[in-house]
Amino acid sequence: MKGFDYFQPQSLEEALELKKKIPGSRFIAGGTDLMVQIRGGELKPSTLISLRSIRDLSSIEINGNIRIGAMTTVTDLIYNPDLEHKAKLLVDAARRLGCPQIRNVATVGGNLCNCSPCADLALPLLVLEAKARIKSLSGTQDVPLQKFFEGPGKSCLSPDQILTDIFIEPVSNNTKAVFLKKGRVKMDLAIASVALLLEMEEKTCRKARMAAGSVAPVPLRLQKVEVFLEGKALSPELADLAQRMASESVAPISDVRSTEEYRRHIVGVYVKRGIAQILGWSLD
Amino acid sequence: MTDFRYIGKRISRPDGPDKAAGKAHYIHDLKRPGMLFGKIKFSQHAFARIKHIDTSKAERLPGVKAVITAQNTPEIRIGFLRDNFALKKEKVRQYRDEVAAVAAIDPDIAEEAVEQIRVEYDIQPGLFSPDEALQKGAPLIHEKDSRGQARIDNIVPLKFHHESGDFDAGRRSAKYFVEGKYSTPLVQQSCMGTAGCIAEFDMNRNLTLWAKTQIPFLAQRDFNRALSDMGLQGKNTRIIVPTLGGGFGTGLDTHTYEYIAVLLAFRTGHAVKILYSREEEFAYLSPRQSSEIRILQGCDLNGKLVFRKVEVLQDNGAYTSWGATYPSVMMLPATSLYRVPNVFFNARLVYTNNTYCQAMRGYGNPELTWALESNLDELAEEAGIDPYELRRLNCNLPGETTPMGLKISTCALKESLESVAKRIEWKKKHKKGKSRGVGMASLVHVGGGARIYKSDASGIFLKLDDFGNVYVYHGGVEMGQGLHAVLTMAVAEALGVRPEKVFINPTDTSTCPWDVGTHASRGTFMAGNATLLAADKLRNKIFELAIDVYPREVKKSLEKYRKKNPDYQPPDIDFKKSARLENFDLKDGYLSIKDGPSEPWLRLELGRFLRAVHFCSKGQMLFAEAFYDPPNELPDFEKGYGNISATYVYGTQGVEVEVDIETGEVKILRLTAAHEVGKVINPEGLKGQIYGALAQGIGYTLYEELKTEKGQILNPNFKDYKIPTIQEMDFPIDLDFIEIPDEFGPFGAKGIAEPGLVPTAPAIANAIYDAVGVRIRDLPITPEKVLTELKKLGPSVK
Amino acid sequence: MKKEILFSLNGIEVSVFVKGHERLIDVLRNHLGLTGTKEGCGQGECGACTVIVDGRAVNSCLYPALEISGKNVLTIEGLQSPEHRLSVLQQAFVDCGAIQCGYCTPGMILSVKALLDSNSKPTEKEIREALQGNLCRCTGYVQIITAVKQASSQLQELP
Repeated sequence: MKGFDYFQPQSLEEALELKKKIPGSRFIAGGTDLMVQIRGGELKPSTLISLRSIRDLSSIEINGNIRIGAMTTVTDLIYNPDLEHKAKLLVDAARRLGCPQIRNVATVGGNLCNCSPCADLALPLLVLEAKARIKSLSGTQDVPLQKFFEGPGKSCLSPDQILTDIFIEPVSNNTKAVFLKKGRVKMDLAIASVALLLEMEEKTCRKARMAAGSVAPVPLRLQKVEVFLEGKALSPELADLAQRMASESVAPISDVRSTEEYRRHIVGVYVKRGIAQILGWSLD
Repeated sequence: MTDFRYIGKRISRPDGPDKAAGKAHYIHDLKRPGMLFGKIKFSQHAFARIKHIDTSKAERLPGVKAVITAQNTPEIRIGFLRDNFALKKEKVRQYRDEVAAVAAIDPDIAEEAVEQIRVEYDIQPGLFSPDEALQKGAPLIHEKDSRGQARIDNIVPLKFHHESGDFDAGRRSAKYFVEGKYSTPLVQQSCMGTAGCIAEFDMNRNLTLWAKTQIPFLAQRDFNRALSDMGLQGKNTRIIVPTLGGGFGTGLDTHTYEYIAVLLAFRTGHAVKILYSREEEFAYLSPRQSSEIRILQGCDLNGKLVFRKVEVLQDNGAYTSWGATYPSVMMLPATSLYRVPNVFFNARLVYTNNTYCQAMRGYGNPELTWALESNLDELAEEAGIDPYELRRLNCNLPGETTPMGLKISTCALKESLESVAKRIEWKKKHKKGKSRGVGMASLVHVGGGARIYKSDASGIFLKLDDFGNVYVYHGGVEMGQGLHAVLTMAVAEALGVRPEKVFINPTDTSTCPWDVGTHASRGTFMAGNATLLAADKLRNKIFELAIDVYPREVKKSLEKYRKKNPDYQPPDIDFKKSARLENFDLKDGYLSIKDGPSEPWLRLELGRFLRAVHFCSKGQMLFAEAFYDPPNELPDFEKGYGNISATYVYGTQGVEVEVDIETGEVKILRLTAAHEVGKVINPEGLKGQIYGALAQGIGYTLYEELKTEKGQILNPNFKDYKIPTIQEMDFPIDLDFIEIPDEFGPFGAKGIAEPGLVPTAPAIANAIYDAVGVRIRDLPITPEKVLTELKKLGPSVK
Repeated sequence: MKKEILFSLNGIEVSVFVKGHERLIDVLRNHLGLTGTKEGCGQGECGACTVIVDGRAVNSCLYPALEISGKNVLTIEGLQSPEHRLSVLQQAFVDCGAIQCGYCTPGMILSVKALLDSNSKPTEKEIREALQGNLCRCTGYVQIITAVKQASSQLQELP
């Protein structure tokens, strides 16, 4: 492993200036993905520019909307008392990310910017229709998270941009959500995962949002299934149909972790089980 | 059952505190003055001719002290078939072949230098399965053998064969029979402390090697031979074994990286440390041998087994190491698990361009038992007999000799079957469906050493000092399994001192007596028996001297006592009568007369006794040695006959599972293990060994697999090679240790390090079959495989 | 080019000069000679390198050395009591058979310490969740859980 320089800018401007100035430089958040990739030789940065010392990147603000700073650690996200109530889906997914040592250091922004097709925090944020705030030296823009992921390991960020915050709008009281993740063992990368949110009016589904991980080059919104469920009275039979539709609408691959058929199958099963869990049905 | 003072009781393991404090020093932590760091350049091609190696850039890198290849070093052949080389000269035959190595002042420079080495290859299409390698016209992995004679095919010239009884008659007499083909994958030992060593020559050109080894003396032999190859005939190797971060079989062979470290140390004149990173450990260290096993078993109308045919095919990889000898252990369950009169066993090993394999816990037994015990359940189904009843009907009994010539002394197979059936609630839960099921499987393994070499012996030295301390020198290796704790208890018990006075010395070929190696679950059996012999000698020496010394010393004690207690009237003791060899006892470090009066001045502290023996004219220091050679024999593996061990262990495991029929996931609800142990020596240590083995068994059954493509390991990291975490062991486990003291076992004990993972896989597979009617024959039993089979069964699955 | 880091290590202020790419584990093992912290994988998968930074367990193999400035670090060496005694937690590991080869032990113990410091009466489920990032190949984990439960109840009895 070749050596690299390491800088610790105190402000966003300083960070962006350094990035502009130093060729071959990369931003580092918690480092739990990046340090592994560097060690494995997949990445060979000349310099790492740390975002840890930049104030205001790691705060959580809740007043109506929720703003989560990109450098918020996963542990801080889990233990924020308000998020537990206001964005339970996100907290549930965060609990399934890695282990305590990883969660204590990994960040929300880092998890998203790593752009893994199974990023644990991407699924709930997609389903919560989060927006990503991106800053550069020339300005700020808010981007729907759906547009953030372009491919495995590739986000929409250009080299001179930093993800600074995630915005979530509050969900209505009739909204329930669930996060299901399948690994080879309990603590694992997802070989398939689903985040599912339903807003119900009695038996009718007013709003459905779902996202799946490890079944496409990016974390994927299952919009076809969402549209299918919305406006309908939900029943086990409908859930079965949603299962089939979900399986058919994803494009997983076979790799060292699992097979295309199995991932496709699990996504469908999890969509069905997610619906059942939210609505309190027992599946026998 | 004898009343023991320490055996069977709780002990704080002597190496525990240092390990808990982070003060134990593993190879990773050791430094030598002026030490350099070695790194190896590996091939990255499975089969190629080496055209040219350019090391010039690497040599010029500041901080690099040596760059070696097969071109500038003497040829060192390794492996018991001598078909491997420390550095590869003309050809690489596997993805992980070593072509060059660097020694530098720090690991980063060494790594950079390795990257600067350019190798030109003429790549050949490789052979990646026994089938491919056996095709007519397939290229030869090795064109010549180690003696230079031309080879004609890719078959490894090792024969493992057994035929007993009248196989054809047995076959004809079977009413029911089932054939099956089973396989096990490459599995990684995954020690938490990776492989590594430090090699250093002194100025007399003798070598010291700090090694992660389980075979210090066989390693000494191997490295002395290498020194000869290096032009250092007559020079000696000293092997020192530091604290090890696990073993599980990885230390049973000598490895290329060790020879490379030796070559670098000799070239540079400095100590050289080579340490494998985790990726290197996965990608470049030999894993557990994979297997393909065809088995055919038959029984009569009543379920009595009448014949068994086992054919083993192993992908030997490019070179030969201990993976090739798994069939020698496979022969044990093949011939001796359950009573079967007519047995046919044969193994074929084929060279390929895949990785070669070494020992791992169980050494072929888990593989064969996987096939045998899965197939037995299939036979039970075919015959319409309950699998538990079928096993009980055919179970081995004490005192029998098996077709392989194994002399079964004690045998608790019947007891272990019954124990498991009861604890797993067999009658209540078997064949109940609803996606839940129970399964069981048994094992037989060596419990009294295993003679696989000219000697299966083990020596020990016990040395006493002036303070009543006992220093133990024993060639067995502590790799976490608790050998030092058992040795401490054995010495304390057999000699009659307190455990705190027992000090186990580091394993070092220059100080410890010979031991063939810590494998085959033989550690406790050998150390214990050697201790009993030596302690007995030492006690005799002490008691002989005590005839004179004891009366003298206790009289001095009495005078002292009387000065403090002037009114004291001592009892009348005729020392001439009572101070005799057979009347003495040494207990808790105090010498006394058996059944004598309990006066305090009659208890002579051992240290005081020893000083009296030492500090006088014609003084002595006391010392004893023993070399224990167990009553077993080296089998003829071509005939498949020989009583390989002094005693055997049987056992059974039962599992209850629940299968999620929508996802194929298997959840273990509970596990029960009944193992015969002869005698529990260290209760917490024994439990730890079984729990640890069960975890490895579960990993091996459900998810562990090194995936390869064209000879390359695709998942060389913990991210994609999953071993059980604490979350996966989240079900109740109950253990039943069946104690039937064995006449050859120290304190009655048998070896138990490996059995814990031998029957786990078939027990789980049998439970899965009971739950959902799905039979998986290829490990690991992944949800993908279960789901595929469930889908084939269709909607009938409940 | 080396930069200075100043941090508190086991209660004592320490200054070390490090290169940009060095990790906390390199500082501990190579610069400071504290070899109790083990490198098991270097990839944040095994937890053998676990240390506690500002009260939270982290994998020191992934932690950039320069980030440790101003922080409080606790390693296995910092656990033992004065006069060469093991802490209650360490002793529980020794007593309960939770140690075999010992390579995972320092990291495992520190993960437990981080747990017990924030949750003195953990349930078995919470213990498993806290330790799921610490791999052990020897023990099968059962006696580790026993040790944690014993330590937890002993620590609660302390005045």
